[in-house]
Amino acid sequence: MNFEAIIGLEIHVEMKTASKMFSGSPNTFTREPNTCVTPFDMAYPGTMPRVNKQAVINAIRVANALHMEIDPLVRFDRKNYFYSDLPKGFQITQQFHPIGKEGYLEILGKDGELKRIGIERIHMEEDTCKQLHFADYSLLDYNRAGVPLVEIVSKPDLRNGTEAMRYVEAIRNIVLYSGTSDGKMEEGSLRCDVNVSIRPYGSKGFGTKVELKNLNSTKNIELALDYEIARQTACLLSNREIAQETRRYDEASGKTVLMRVKTDAVDYKYFPEPNIAPIQLSMEFVQNAIDTCPELYDSKLARYLQNGLSQTDAEILLSNIDMASFFEEATVKDPKLSKIIANFLIVEINAYLNKNGIAMNTLGLNPETLSDIAAFQDAGYTHKQCADILNYVLENGGSAEEARLAKHIEKQSDNASEVLAFVTGVLDANPQSIEDFKAGKDRAKGFLIGQVMKAAKGKVNPAAVAKVMDEELAKR
Amino acid sequence: MSYLDLSIREIHQALVEKKTTPLELAKEALERAKANNDNAFEMLLEEEAILEASKLVEPEEDNLLWGIPYCLKDNFSTKGFETTASSNVLNGYVPLFDATVVSKLKEKKCVLIGKTTLDELAMGGTGTTGHKGITFNPYDPSHTHMVGGSSCGSAAVVAAGIVPFALGSDTGDSVRKPASYAGLVGMKPTWGRISRYGLFPFAPSLDHVGFFTRDVEDSAILLEALSGRDDMDSTSSFRPVDSYLPKEKSLKGKRIAVLSEIVDAISNKEVRASFDRAVKAMEDEGAIIDYVKFGLQDLEAIYATYIVISCAEATSNDANLDGIKFGAYHGGKTYREVMSNARTEGFSHLIKRRFIIGSFALMRENVDVLFTRAQKVRAKITARVNEILKDHDTIFLPAAPSPAPLLSASSDALSDEYLIADNHLALGNFAGLPSVTVPLSFVDGLPIGVNFMCRAFEEKELYNLASAFEKISGLAGLSTVSPKEARL
Repeated sequence: MNFEAIIGLEIHVEMKTASKMFSGSPNTFTREPNTCVTPFDMAYPGTMPRVNKQAVINAIRVANALHMEIDPLVRFDRKNYFYSDLPKGFQITQQFHPIGKEGYLEILGKDGELKRIGIERIHMEEDTCKQLHFADYSLLDYNRAGVPLVEIVSKPDLRNGTEAMRYVEAIRNIVLYSGTSDGKMEEGSLRCDVNVSIRPYGSKGFGTKVELKNLNSTKNIELALDYEIARQTACLLSNREIAQETRRYDEASGKTVLMRVKTDAVDYKYFPEPNIAPIQLSMEFVQNAIDTCPELYDSKLARYLQNGLSQTDAEILLSNIDMASFFEEATVKDPKLSKIIANFLIVEINAYLNKNGIAMNTLGLNPETLSDIAAFQDAGYTHKQCADILNYVLENGGSAEEARLAKHIEKQSDNASEVLAFVTGVLDANPQSIEDFKAGKDRAKGFLIGQVMKAAKGKVNPAAVAKVMDEELAKR
Repeated sequence: MSYLDLSIREIHQALVEKKTTPLELAKEALERAKANNDNAFEMLLEEEAILEASKLVEPEEDNLLWGIPYCLKDNFSTKGFETTASSNVLNGYVPLFDATVVSKLKEKKCVLIGKTTLDELAMGGTGTTGHKGITFNPYDPSHTHMVGGSSCGSAAVVAAGIVPFALGSDTGDSVRKPASYAGLVGMKPTWGRISRYGLFPFAPSLDHVGFFTRDVEDSAILLEALSGRDDMDSTSSFRPVDSYLPKEKSLKGKRIAVLSEIVDAISNKEVRASFDRAVKAMEDEGAIIDYVKFGLQDLEAIYATYIVISCAEATSNDANLDGIKFGAYHGGKTYREVMSNARTEGFSHLIKRRFIIGSFALMRENVDVLFTRAQKVRAKITARVNEILKDHDTIFLPAAPSPAPLLSASSDALSDEYLIADNHLALGNFAGLPSVTVPLSFVDGLPIGVNFMCRAFEEKELYNLASAFEKISGLAGLSTVSPKEARL
């Protein structure tokens, strides 16, 4: 029997706003534990939530990118449960009226066809505090308590691990490029819960759902799902029942491992948050949030392609948002240089970053300088010469022109008559080499070109010399 | 009699003329507090009050509240001073911040004398359930009658003449009912008029900051000082703060609605007779009285609706009291044990009962028939109140069906009288409307009051009516230290 998998994803994204979802304390990952905390974050009696405007703007932007219906009446609800990481004993969320609903996202399916994945809802909520468990005690870090989150819930439209991976990549690109989040799965700022069940092809019902957790990269989502689908299929084929359970992905073994069996779903006793009156957003506010959204991934990709970049190069640049923004700054002056600039970024600058173990956003290079270096190449300097200039600037700073002078790099002429004069002169002076060449000694041509470069003191373009040399040798 | 027994305006005049000083007032208030045996204090702030009062030397002529001593219900957050809401669960909790109303009174240079008792976590109406035991009614030296609650301590300290005003909170009638039992002006304004930041929540959709004073003008002075937008409470209103001092004190042409089912349910003949005299006197002043039928079914539903909504919200608000972050800690091997021990030890069984009712009402299988239904009933009742107020300037009623009940009387009696005439003040909380209790008369030596309720944000009109009524009743400035003769 053949089975198909039914996969749905819940993605939690931590927003990188200046302050928390409902309090004024700073929202940052990097501070000492328990230093970004207000009385509200620790649920001191009498404290009250204040809605973060930027978080609402971010949520609108993501909802719009996901083609969702946006509810301009913003309302919040309480989700009640007791847990050590939940200071108030409830989480403020949007259970009854999510800010966005009924959207979709298009991804490339495994077969290469465009596939539309439905999105049920997007809502805002607050994060819990971070727990660190030790043998006989636990530590709580309230810096994370109240960090703004958006949760994006897909419809069960995904069918395999590859689709799920691409869906998450697409979501990550949206939250990243809209400025909502840094979308780092490995640091937990983008977290994925996956629900998967299988059913015989053609069947309309749903099988028993298994939840997968601990998926800290898009690749792991694909691997975990491929494994889990195979595991469930094997279960059904050998007449074993699939239990309703939560499993985690074990990276080392590449398997999913049982975490806990699910009992009856918890009753969260939702009710409307009485300390936040419903907020009516004006149409202008919503439209302005959308209009001022930074350019998203897909739009940038299309633009890069239009500027002459290959699909691969464009995707490489966009895989690093800092590199993409550097690229854009560097191409402002002269968009015609896009291809050359992209090439420097992808090859020389990436190599430099890797060699020195630094990130793009700490690279001390002025985008305009790269543009100037690209302009040299456009004006006839060789790529090798320009790469030398670039590396000199990377090591020593300064302008492109200063680096050129410091490295004594001169433009090589490819003026046909100038090159021809040098070639003719050298050929006339070296009849023996011509004979050697004719006799099949290819090395002789290299010698002749070398003589030309020497005579011209490096000021002619080797490629142009080689071309003219070929033509002239043929005539002799 | 001393300066302490005058109205705020009169005390202010005496302060400006340097006939008395904030320090003298504070000392006298503290002496009276120590001599009082009504069990009204969680904590007396003797040293702090003397220190603060002695700093106040040059009177501020344009600040009526300069140097006035006051008390605070112990469910307002006070930076550096233990705040327990009269519950063991919060023993040892010292807040890191002042409630907005506390900051405002600090800015006005009021002098905080002490923090007063309440029914545990402000849940209750008897003044008997706080962790310090029963708070008594200053009008009853035999200590057999209640003062009412939940703002029992604040009602007692103003009635006993210790301070000219005290803050309370009002979720169902927790200021306005004890005001009736203690012969005071008890006010709660429109929901959102005063910031609730720092008020320990009971049921936020019904919670209000309220206050007790001995006359209507004092109440208006306080409202002006406490009102206004506060970014720390996003439900607080942006509306500008009016001058609330009552000016036009004539009742001529005022349309006054009396809800006939409520008046008819009152069995105490003296209360009824006194109320009827009040109606007659207002008519004589030119008021137009309409007896309006509210709808018996809706009135009977008030109590159940209130219990469901308030308990549901309370069970959630108080989920933060788990012994992990602050408050009393009772140990435990796991987080579950820590929470369970803190809550088992910390809450009295009455509170646990409320939490169970609240949780039950929110459970998936019950939420539609209990919580959601209660919300709908609340909306319906609110619509009815607003409908009546469309054609009337105010709704006027006895604040309670009787003077302060005996402490031995069962508080669970669900008689018709109790259901209809003892819970109607919650109408003001359901609809979030301004509502004030004013002394009416005495029955068996105990005070009784009336209540006015007006349209949202019409506090000014409310005070005009209450002030006109005060002229009729002759009970302005009443306390056990300055007794008055009842006229009605």
